[in-house]
Amino acid sequence: MKQIALYGKGGIGKSTTSANLSAALSLAGYNVLQIGCDPKRDSTRMLMQGRLIPTVMDQVRERGAESVSPADVVYTGFNGVRCVEAGGPEPGVGCAGRGIIATFQLLEKFGTLTGDVIVYDVLGDVVCGGFAMPMREGYAQEVYLVTSGELMSLYAANNICKAIQRLSARPKSRCRLAGVICNAKNQPKEEDLVAEFAHRVNSHLVQFIPRDRTVQLAELNRKTVIEYDPASAQATVYRNLAARVMENTRFTIPTPLGIDDLEALAIEFM
Amino acid sequence: MTLRPSPSNLCRSAGCTLTGALSVTTHVCDAITVVHGPAGCTHHNFSLLHATSLDNDHVSLPPLVSTGLSETDVIFGGEGALDRTLDQVIARDPGAVFVLSTCIVDTIGDDVGMVCGSKAGVPVIVVPTAGFLGGSFQTGVNNALVALAGLAEPATGNGRVNIIGEKNLEYEVDENFAEVSRLLTLLDLSVNVRFVHDVTTRQITSLGAARLNVLRDPSLIPVGEYLRERFGTPYIPGYPVGISGTITFLESVAGACGIDPRHAVEQEITLRQETLDDFADIAGLGVSFFPHPPDPEGGRVAQDIAQALRLDITSSGRPVPVPMTPPIGITGVRRMLHRWRRALHV
Repeated sequence: MKQIALYGKGGIGKSTTSANLSAALSLAGYNVLQIGCDPKRDSTRMLMQGRLIPTVMDQVRERGAESVSPADVVYTGFNGVRCVEAGGPEPGVGCAGRGIIATFQLLEKFGTLTGDVIVYDVLGDVVCGGFAMPMREGYAQEVYLVTSGELMSLYAANNICKAIQRLSARPKSRCRLAGVICNAKNQPKEEDLVAEFAHRVNSHLVQFIPRDRTVQLAELNRKTVIEYDPASAQATVYRNLAARVMENTRFTIPTPLGIDDLEALAIEFM
Repeated sequence: MTLRPSPSNLCRSAGCTLTGALSVTTHVCDAITVVHGPAGCTHHNFSLLHATSLDNDHVSLPPLVSTGLSETDVIFGGEGALDRTLDQVIARDPGAVFVLSTCIVDTIGDDVGMVCGSKAGVPVIVVPTAGFLGGSFQTGVNNALVALAGLAEPATGNGRVNIIGEKNLEYEVDENFAEVSRLLTLLDLSVNVRFVHDVTTRQITSLGAARLNVLRDPSLIPVGEYLRERFGTPYIPGYPVGISGTITFLESVAGACGIDPRHAVEQEITLRQETLDDFADIAGLGVSFFPHPPDPEGGRVAQDIAQALRLDITSSGRPVPVPMTPPIGITGVRRMLHRWRRALHV
């Protein structure tokens, strides 16, 4: 079983990328589970025809952890992709990080964490220990960073490298950086910039995803690109990503950059 | 953020902020204390308070209620659990409800003040007690006393004296109080409120009527200052300690109240001499202190007493016990000397 996690700045396109990746993997014949690890709970929406599925934390809150069953939290979406949303507290109260930990414990108990591939789609920043949960022992060993060529996005990706570096130093940890996915904002030299960033943090660019209107059209139709327009060039890009993720064997301990180096890099490619 | 470092070298003695506050709030007889946190915080403190009061020959079940926070409350916020618990507790019609926070509650950022502020009918008073913010047992005591002073109502002076911050967990708490009362009586003064030892909410309302506050010890000075600012009441920073403490104490109290202390001081000097005469049988013997006095003040007090009896302090002397906290007043000294006599006459 392959377990991968997608991390990156909020709004960068992690959920769109994850959903299309899961859809492409399922069409390639893999049994896929996608877990949204963000209280915003919209990771799996395009796989579920626009439906916001009940979250694990909603169910726990409403009926108590003892009475929740796997059927309450696992929903089958496009082409059999199993979808789970962790969910979390209302904005501004409680502890969302603990919610992620509790979700993992519950899914573990249910035996839900099975299949050929598990895709964890995680909150924008690793704000606390709870959001590092998918990187911990027993879960995703392959972390993909989703970033554009914008400085703030690279900055967030670089920060996540710090978390991976720290966690990978722990004994028995097998959490590694598996690569960088460039979800482009149509900036000049963007692919080169992100490829160079990936190189400098001791990794590699796995896939360049150009900005394409098909993504917005698919979203308006509550579908992944894979489902909405399988013949499109964009769908091919996501299928390529799926193939590369499955073939990838380059897993590294990242070397995060200092803020000055990061800025200098961005200026180099202006 | 407070960013107060927890003094790591004090971790064995500085204690838990919550326990400190509970040692105060559980002594308001008609009030209920709600501990907002996991059940264990309440259970552990309940056991400690119960066992200590048994040890002090006093059977009491501290009136504690836990909000019993679970993992679900931590994830979604514990304000709902607090709200429900408060409603149940208020329905029992207590004189007041004290709400004490715990480490986890301040970590997840529950707005305890907001929930308590929404309640009516019974005073609901918040005491901040999250220990990980760098506070000690004493911080909890001080926070509780300042919070409970909120129960006081505007009052005209009654010429009496408050006792502030008695160490409710110490074995001699009542003996020490009796000694201080004895000294106040010598000056024709009487006690207004024992703030806080076995009082009712109603008694606390007259806190501001006293002419003087006597603090249990100088670690309560922030509380003394607060009460001075709020009610204009001057304070004496501590109980009388050691062989000469009572005389200085009488002079300070008299000075603060504008009373002539001479007669009282004369009586006290006589009592001191009688006490020393009573222990003439051990005078001049060689002693050593064991265990070693826990703080410089304790050492100084023990030394003064030994000198007054012309005891010879040498490392080869017979060991005599020095209590954890210095003896209070002549009664305290007498109690300690009885123990010394027993040790010396073995």
